[in-house]
Amino acid sequence: MKSQAYERALAAAPLIMRTNWTRRLGYILVLGTVAAALAAMVVDLHIAPGAIFSGFYKLGAFARVAFPPSDGGQLPRILRAMAETFAMAFAGTVLAALAAAPLGVIGAKNVVGQPFAHFIFRRALDWFRGVPSLVWALILVSAFGLGPFGGVIALALADIPRLAKLFSEAIENGDERPMEGVRSAGVSPLMALRYGLAPQVAPVIASQCLFFLESNFRNAAVLGIVGAGGIGFELEERIRVFAFDEATFIIILYMVCVAVLDTLSQRLRAMLA
Amino acid sequence: MNQPKPRPLRPPVAELPVSQVVADFERDRRSFLRRRRGRTLIGALVFSVLLLASLHQSQFFNSDIGGDPLGRIGAFLARMNPGLAPDALFLNRATKGSLASWLYDLPLWLRLGWQTVEMATLGTFIGGVGGLGASFLCARNLMPIPFVRFVVRRGLEMIRAVPELILALVLVSAFGVGPLAGIITLAISTMGGLGKLFSEINEEVDPRQLEAMDASGAGLFGKIRYGVVPQVLPNYASYLLLRLEGNLAAAAALGIVGAGGIGIELQRAITYTEFDTYLAILLLMVGLIFVIDIASEAIRHRLIRLGGAQ
Repeated sequence: MKSQAYERALAAAPLIMRTNWTRRLGYILVLGTVAAALAAMVVDLHIAPGAIFSGFYKLGAFARVAFPPSDGGQLPRILRAMAETFAMAFAGTVLAALAAAPLGVIGAKNVVGQPFAHFIFRRALDWFRGVPSLVWALILVSAFGLGPFGGVIALALADIPRLAKLFSEAIENGDERPMEGVRSAGVSPLMALRYGLAPQVAPVIASQCLFFLESNFRNAAVLGIVGAGGIGFELEERIRVFAFDEATFIIILYMVCVAVLDTLSQRLRAMLA
Repeated sequence: MNQPKPRPLRPPVAELPVSQVVADFERDRRSFLRRRRGRTLIGALVFSVLLLASLHQSQFFNSDIGGDPLGRIGAFLARMNPGLAPDALFLNRATKGSLASWLYDLPLWLRLGWQTVEMATLGTFIGGVGGLGASFLCARNLMPIPFVRFVVRRGLEMIRAVPELILALVLVSAFGVGPLAGIITLAISTMGGLGKLFSEINEEVDPRQLEAMDASGAGLFGKIRYGVVPQVLPNYASYLLLRLEGNLAAAAALGIVGAGGIGIELQRAITYTEFDTYLAILLLMVGLIFVIDIASEAIRHRLIRLGGAQ
């Protein structure tokens, strides 16, 4: 029965029904190359199966220690560290926004009408956007000493190119006509930016800054690992001495704080929009 | 919110003298402006208090090293300067100011850079496979059991909430110092991120092809293989490449906590206060990330066009 139907289909559409061996060979070749490349990487990195098994075994042991979570009698200290982390995130975001605002104006096509300068400027920003804040923090902490100050600068440095790009895009998306209107009243270019452009762009920029505040709160928590203080430092200490019950407590508290901050900032952003 | 409250009854506007209308308007506008100014003032006050508290809390003005943050930034930048001398640029390693003495360990850095790329690739691949599996388990149109969907979704959310480096810290103490911990970290966090994105793609597939699969009696695997995958493959690949770019930057940072790759060398340069070496590795890293970004962007644009042509 089946073979009869198959014969009919083959007669009707031979190209579809017949196995296309060249195509199949092509697939196999591509998949084989990918698999071989991945296997070569595993070999090159000297990854031993034994290490994987013993690692998961140890993870299991950690998990048994981790529950129930406990604050280790140091709740006030942990809360202060959390506040410090928020302070780092807030100060870093504000500094980054202050520094990125003029850069964003310079980088906008409709403000600086010089294509070559625009291209160079954007590329320079692109170049530095890839550097994670932790990499900045590592050197800044060793330059400024242990403490949150280096963390603030690191967050700001990592954010400046990203925010500047977003700002200049927001400015480019602004409507030209209010600017023209203000200009036709005969004011200086700076005043034209203030009254023609700023009212359109300010809400967009403010909501982006709030968004960066959220993400900086996450980044700031990590910076403590390289000595920039805050909750990351407390967490690293607990993990280094295998006090996983306290580490779990801090992680859960941190997740709650992230959720609260995200909700607040979402409310504010909804108000701005 | 800005509209004035309804007023008590009064005669129709036409019967009012013009001066009365103008006075009403002026009064409304004044109260509106006053309210807006009040709100702005409160907002500015909250903002400045928060900012001052934050700056104070982060020791912006009184650090242990002394005040003057700008001066400190300048001094630190000066220490990062490799001090290249134009006339000695191409001399051997022993000469101060030559390129060879600045980049004295370049072969090792390149090898570690390549290790970082390998870590990112393997982590992205393993995480992508895991995310793919999870995405079918939490897509509304493929997984009929709500409980499974709920559990998988919450699991992915929890993974996304934990910062990568904290995961790496735990995994380094379990798997030991080296790239294995980094790969597993990247794989787990990639699974959390891509699982969500993939499941959103899955939910947007054309339902008619799934119905055709149901009609021909295909099982879950047949449905996925012939009904979903052909529609979503370009999107999957595009997200995977985007994630690879992000993972490369993350992998570079992971080395700092001992999870392999170029970050270990960054950490070493800091420990020996070789700030000019740090700058060299930093530039190398930025270059590496830039090259991968450009390559992956080119491939993604081709994929998007491929997806559009179908």
